[in-house]
Amino acid sequence: MSTAFTRPPLVRSSDRIIAGVCSGLAAHLGWPVKTVRIGMALATLAGGAGLAFYAWLWIMVPTADESARRNARRPASPIAPAVSLDPAFSPRPTTAQAQPAGHSATGAALRGTHDAGAAAPAAAGGAAANGPAAYSAAWSAEPLPGYGPATTGYGAAVRPPWFRVRSMRYGKEVLLGAGLLLVAGILIAQLLGVDVPLGTLIPAAAVLGGAAIAWMQLDETRRAGLLDKTKADQAGGWARLAAGLALVVAGVLVMVSGSGSWEQTWLALLASVAVLGGVVLVLLPWALKFWRDLESERAGRVRETERAEIAAHLHDSVLQTLALIQRRAGNEHDVVRLARAQERELRGWLFQDPGRDAGQLSERIKATAAEVEDFLGNAVEVVSVGDTAMTEAHEALVQASREAMLNASRHGGGSVSVYLEVSDGRAEVFVKDRGPGFELNDVPEDRLGVRESIIGRMKRHGGTASIISTPDGTEVRLGLPALQTDNAEGKL
Amino acid sequence: MNNAQATGPIRPAQPVRVVIVDDHAIFRSGLKADLDASIQVVGEAATVEQAIAVIAQERPEVVLLDVHLPGGLGGGGREVIAGSAALLGTTKFLALSVSDAAEDVVAVIRAGARGYVTKTISGAEITDAVFRVAGGDAVFSPRLAGFVLDAFGTAPADIADDELDRLSARELEVMRLIARGYSYKEVAKELFISIKTVETHVSAVLRKLQLSSRHELTKWAAERRLL
Repeated sequence: MSTAFTRPPLVRSSDRIIAGVCSGLAAHLGWPVKTVRIGMALATLAGGAGLAFYAWLWIMVPTADESARRNARRPASPIAPAVSLDPAFSPRPTTAQAQPAGHSATGAALRGTHDAGAAAPAAAGGAAANGPAAYSAAWSAEPLPGYGPATTGYGAAVRPPWFRVRSMRYGKEVLLGAGLLLVAGILIAQLLGVDVPLGTLIPAAAVLGGAAIAWMQLDETRRAGLLDKTKADQAGGWARLAAGLALVVAGVLVMVSGSGSWEQTWLALLASVAVLGGVVLVLLPWALKFWRDLESERAGRVRETERAEIAAHLHDSVLQTLALIQRRAGNEHDVVRLARAQERELRGWLFQDPGRDAGQLSERIKATAAEVEDFLGNAVEVVSVGDTAMTEAHEALVQASREAMLNASRHGGGSVSVYLEVSDGRAEVFVKDRGPGFELNDVPEDRLGVRESIIGRMKRHGGTASIISTPDGTEVRLGLPALQTDNAEGKL
Repeated sequence: MNNAQATGPIRPAQPVRVVIVDDHAIFRSGLKADLDASIQVVGEAATVEQAIAVIAQERPEVVLLDVHLPGGLGGGGREVIAGSAALLGTTKFLALSVSDAAEDVVAVIRAGARGYVTKTISGAEITDAVFRVAGGDAVFSPRLAGFVLDAFGTAPADIADDELDRLSARELEVMRLIARGYSYKEVAKELFISIKTVETHVSAVLRKLQLSSRHELTKWAAERRLL
């Protein structure tokens, strides 16, 4: 990446005397603030050029806050490409100072004019009449150290590929600069004695400018539709549209009436408004119908996309499972297991709640139950009431529950009921099966499943575990008290 | 829960007359085949309109009602119950669902259904549920009990509270045990009370679920999408 890119963006600084233009410019160029301020003052003496330049930057350059907001909303901000390209490098004005003087100067001038969208100073100096061309030539002719040795040989004729992208992205600024250059050229031509038909040019320029403003708005609204739709933006958009329209109408009127006589202009205005009103009245139903058609077509397309997504999902999951079920039709156990697994997957896909955190206890218990169900084939039904975030102790609770579910599914031989309740931070898990039951004392000492993985694990984490077994079934009851650190008055 | 609940409700001498309302013909015929011989299926319906007409004509004791149904105003099972409101005293509704979405289940219970079971339960279980509902009791699956505990909270009622808005300590105990997978009989044994008392508690909870004007209940159901 070129060092020219690592420059901080041109923004008005909060360290200010009048509007922070000088200090912002200094930070951007990597020059001392004092130098810039003195330079500005000297330029002011030179026929007020400094004053004009200052005022120009004041209007065109955003404050640091505005710039940040703009960047946040639109990553590809034309004003501050440096920030959006590589924020890590941006707060390093010293890199510019370390460059060879010549390179730094061209880069600085280029960046200054470019970033502010202000070709005006250059035009005022009469340096270049054809702004964009000179601009591009300067850009491509400049050797870019970071761009690789291959680019150093580029002439003005061969534009590097990034230029096209950039020129489009900054079209607004380039257009504005070109317009101002044109104005400057006309003024110079007049000074030199060439007769310029201002009476035609000004209205034409007004029409063009108005149209440009209105069209830019079109572009903006499309982008805004994709990104965000804040009320303020829309209001600004309407204002711009109105301004553009007014400019165009005024320009056309002056051009058509030609004379500049107020009476005639008013008459023409009245007539054109009446005609426009009539046209709108006639065309409005069509426009509305067209708009509605467009909307319904768009909605249809959205539906179509959704349908395609659903179809793809069903094909990948449900249809595959159905095929498997058909092939295993003889094995009831496999069919049930496949159907349960598919049901779970489909439910998860249909009803998944993005708001619910996967790190919650209930989600973990459900995932564990699904795992046990897949592993042993017996249904494990989970009912949960309340929820809490996972901690280390809760992890132990989940592991103990898993062991209990495995035992219940393995020895109970039927469906397993799991109930999780969290209230006031206390978590309880009940795992119930309907197997023949067993006597805890009959379990051999070397069988770690019950003693170690369930009872021992819960005790180590300050919880409780009890196993109630009857000939009708077995229930494992696990309890974990509320964390003491969470709230001092937490109940145990 | 097969063996325990099979001995639960008393089987009536007369066969129970039942109407099955479900839009899937395969499910209807499967359910018919699964049901006990002492249950007589007198009618079937696939849409809201058909269901209301068949129920009005046959006046069954129990309607097995799918929560999601085509037709009508889109209200599904809830709309069928509303459309048969005149018969609610004699005809009992048992909701069947695959969805388990709290919103649907709570809506159909509040419309007047006497219980809720998932479609995956066995033929024996659904037969028991039909007998129980026909006998005037409520049928709570573990999941429905979980919904109730979640909606009403797990703390027992204060005296100051509206009676309908909270569960009593005993009702909470019963709901917890049902949520843990206990049958009514097991609940009775665990709490040293009679099965009849358990049924009374469950019916009281059903009444609260149906009548509570608790603002949180609907809000909770809307927020809670699936268990």
